[in-house]
Amino acid sequence: MWWRKQWRNLDLPFLLAAAAILAMSLLVLSSASANVAEDSLFYVKRQLLWIGCGTVLALGVVTVDYRRLGKLAPWLYAATLLMLLAVLAVGSEARGAQRWIGLGPFLFQPSEFAKILVVITLSDFLARRQGQLKRLRDLVPVFVYVGLPMLLIMRQPDLGTSLVLAATSLGMLFMAGANVRLLLWLSGGTVAAACGALLAHFHLGLPLPLEDYQIMRLVVFLDPYADGQGGRGAGYHIIQSLVAIGAGGPFGQGYRRGSQVQLNFLPEHHTDFIFSVVGEEFGFVGAAFLLGLYFLLLYRALLIAAETDNPFGRLIIAGIISMFAFHLLVNVGMTMGIMPITGIPLPLFSYGGSSMLMNMLALGLIVNINLRHRRLLF
Amino acid sequence: MATNLLVRRRMVALFFLFSTCLLLLTGRLGWLQLVCGHRLEAQALEERLRDVVIPAKRGKIYDRQLRELAVSVSAPSVVAFPPEVRLSGKEKEIAAKLAAILQMPEEEVYGRITKNALYYYVRRKVEFAQAEEIAKLRLPGIEIIEENQRYYPNGPLAANVLGFAGIDNQGLEGIEHYYDGELHGQDGALRVEADAVGREIPQAAHTYTPPRDGYSLVLSLDSTIQYLAERELDALMQSPTAPAKAAIIVMDPRNGEILAMASRPSFDPNRYGAYPQSSWRNPNVSDTYEPGSTFKVITAAAALEEGLVREEERFYDPGFIKVGAQNIKCWRFPRGHGSQTFVEGVKNSCNPVFVSLGLRLEEKKPGRFYDYIYAFGFGAKTGIDTGGEAVGQLIPREKLKDIYVGSIAIGQSIAVTPIQLVTAVGAVANGGLLVRPHLLLEVRDQKGGLVRRYDPGPPRQVIAAGTAARLGLLLEQVVKDGTGRNAYLPGYRVAGKTGTAQKPGPGGYQPDKHVASFVGYAPVNDPRVVALVIVDEPKGYPYFGGTVAAPIFRSLVEAVLRYLGVPPAEKVPEPGEPQPVTVPQVLALPVGEAAAVVRAAGLEPQIAGGGVQVREQTPRAGASLPQGSRVLLEAPAAGSTLVPDLTGLSHSQALNRLSALGLVLEAEGSGEVVEQHPVPFTEVARGQVVRAIFKEVPAQPTLAP
Repeated sequence: MWWRKQWRNLDLPFLLAAAAILAMSLLVLSSASANVAEDSLFYVKRQLLWIGCGTVLALGVVTVDYRRLGKLAPWLYAATLLMLLAVLAVGSEARGAQRWIGLGPFLFQPSEFAKILVVITLSDFLARRQGQLKRLRDLVPVFVYVGLPMLLIMRQPDLGTSLVLAATSLGMLFMAGANVRLLLWLSGGTVAAACGALLAHFHLGLPLPLEDYQIMRLVVFLDPYADGQGGRGAGYHIIQSLVAIGAGGPFGQGYRRGSQVQLNFLPEHHTDFIFSVVGEEFGFVGAAFLLGLYFLLLYRALLIAAETDNPFGRLIIAGIISMFAFHLLVNVGMTMGIMPITGIPLPLFSYGGSSMLMNMLALGLIVNINLRHRRLLF
Repeated sequence: MATNLLVRRRMVALFFLFSTCLLLLTGRLGWLQLVCGHRLEAQALEERLRDVVIPAKRGKIYDRQLRELAVSVSAPSVVAFPPEVRLSGKEKEIAAKLAAILQMPEEEVYGRITKNALYYYVRRKVEFAQAEEIAKLRLPGIEIIEENQRYYPNGPLAANVLGFAGIDNQGLEGIEHYYDGELHGQDGALRVEADAVGREIPQAAHTYTPPRDGYSLVLSLDSTIQYLAERELDALMQSPTAPAKAAIIVMDPRNGEILAMASRPSFDPNRYGAYPQSSWRNPNVSDTYEPGSTFKVITAAAALEEGLVREEERFYDPGFIKVGAQNIKCWRFPRGHGSQTFVEGVKNSCNPVFVSLGLRLEEKKPGRFYDYIYAFGFGAKTGIDTGGEAVGQLIPREKLKDIYVGSIAIGQSIAVTPIQLVTAVGAVANGGLLVRPHLLLEVRDQKGGLVRRYDPGPPRQVIAAGTAARLGLLLEQVVKDGTGRNAYLPGYRVAGKTGTAQKPGPGGYQPDKHVASFVGYAPVNDPRVVALVIVDEPKGYPYFGGTVAAPIFRSLVEAVLRYLGVPPAEKVPEPGEPQPVTVPQVLALPVGEAAAVVRAAGLEPQIAGGGVQVREQTPRAGASLPQGSRVLLEAPAAGSTLVPDLTGLSHSQALNRLSALGLVLEAEGSGEVVEQHPVPFTEVARGQVVRAIFKEVPAQPTLAP
């Protein structure tokens, strides 16, 4: 078979890093979710199911030469937009946002899949324009191309995911050889404008298209006790997470012995705040080990990208790396109080079906590129 | 390949970018876990630990007969655990049921049972029936807990002395406040670990500190005497006299124990919130007033002690007395008392007589009068063991002018507290020994074991015992045959003094506002009680101390003496139970003084002869006689004089005694007489010089500065 020869290309450390992260995720989840549902292993079983599905999906992706995906790009793009429109039209609502579409017994979160689909289609879009991204007007089509799904996601509203898209696109543009100075100006300008708008909102009452809770998250990011309830309101989450991580100390409180988590002081500890559980129960050693695994994963992915000379494949990997890195920075940063709270999960770790499937898909794509990087195959 | 190089460079840049992100996160992780770890871990523990206070039971308050004046009983309180209430999802229903039973607005109950707290009081200290009804409903998240509540079984009895304890068993007023440290005890605590919803974690760390219940107090108050006093006050308040305020103190002059202390307006400490705050105070120690004529007791004591007046000395009262450029009127103005002896002056409460005494004291040595006033305890707290004691008001020494001396001598231009006056007059009753008034006798633990006894400290000799006895006789005359006639008690020897003071207001004394009072003690020869009755702003006429306050004093003291089992003097001693009195040595004393000493001993002097000196007494000193027996004092007119015994006398007393006999004193040293020449009972001629050697005897200070 053609792919038996490919086995020699397979990047084992990459796969091991991914497998280790997944294994650790199951271990931590079994502790973190023990007190959430009646069946203490309910979430572990579900997560196992998602990992299984994800593996099947990834294997499926691996069998199809990724270069064919490039040709499907316009269709995939159209499908992405349709999916996002559908969620706005018929999606179910939870906690003030419309993010889910019911699919049988499962809830399916289109914005998660939009991330990976945008990575694929944008890679194709940029690959065709390599070397032609020097001027601002060269970038305008790219912004429009990414902007459409971003706006739809923002409408849900899901600010976090649209920010992921922005960061991912930025990483890909960079890899595609876009003018660095221009990118810096644009991103720096956007951040400055956002800060300016927030300042104007607080001091001059400028109306912002943001919900109150979103603004409150920014306030408590600066001072968790300034939530108007002395740290019992919006700031509660950050305070509890900081306490949990700090209480972990160098070696942790021990598996299933973290009091902040086990006694429910820390909400959402099996999803967005799962890193706090790692910090509390395994301490600095365990949490730093996990961050090391992520480093290994991203580093090996980067090496895979370096080995391929297909710009499309390289851009896909660059997009996935940017996306993972942004997720890590924002999610882990939020648990430690250096990033505002957004609903961004820890990739391959937080409980959540759509996110897990999307992440496995991304891994599948990277393996796909890994296996097909040699030209001599032709 | 240029593009290839660019791509490689950008890949390296991307590597550094995500590496930086991960390094940043690791750095933050290290900071939180390795540097701030301990602080945050402590915070985590703190989140889990909840202190459940186990309140100590407040100690009881007893009267001197160990009858309960204040006790702690447990009362149920309704507590909500809001997380559990919310969990049940029946908040509205629960609120409605509770509101109906507790008769509270439903919204208020709803707000309390859904408070963002681990537990919250719905209502504290509710009726037992209500608590039982709520307990039967078994509402989720609603519990009945037992809390201690203060209960005063006698209601308003002694309320102004006892004060009260608040809802958390903290003493807020009176004895409850002053002795809160003894009564409160030490709250215990149960530290439990709880989770975020406040449920206790089983098998988690518990530390239990048991509470130490408060100590009990045994007061000097006697419920019966207190009741007698309050009954008098209640009757007074309902009479046409209906004064604004009134107060009574009954004290044992021998040891300063307060037997009763009552005042009106008062309150019920079981429902103190229903009364105005002004009714909670204890005016007997906190309020000052101008004592008026009752203060003349102090003036007379000072003048007698200093030898500046004799009982038979004559005064003339034209109705006023000139002091410098001003006149001080007698209360009888425009009439006067005319010519009278000092004894009659006291009986008449004649102002000019006492103004003269004040001026004589001031003339002898500027400030001498004030020395006595301070020595009697005015101008300073008595140190009685309850809060809020006032000092009173005295015109500063350096501003003291004759006109003020004159008016202070009759008890105006000076503000004192009732307890100060009782203490001072108590010293006269107690042979010149001033004792600290107090309310506490003993502190006892929960099992009744003695923790400590109240120590009033050493008494202070303010005037000599002889002076006190002479003054007692004068004051007895006031009751027998003077302004205090209404306090006369057949069968008992009562000494007392009336007072009718004008009340100062803005811009001088107010013409129609008075304080009528009476202070006195009984029995004169062996005082058991000293009592003060103050009627503040009596309505109508007459408003005099002798007409308004003296009758109250009489009926109160009569009841108290009978309650204390003090037999009336005229009652024949029970057979087999004779109460003999020892005849004192009065040989060679001046007749007046000798008669006073004999009377003070409880015997009746019978004077024979027109001389100035007792030459013979029958029976002799040391003989035992039934009380009230007659002692014959023979004072024949004689050409010679017996030298009297001066031992133990002060300079002024010795001078007094000698000059009454026409002898001359030659003093040597200071203090009291320890030696004299010629020796006592030597027969000498009139005008003979008697040398007396004085020495300071530290054991018996006669006058504290």
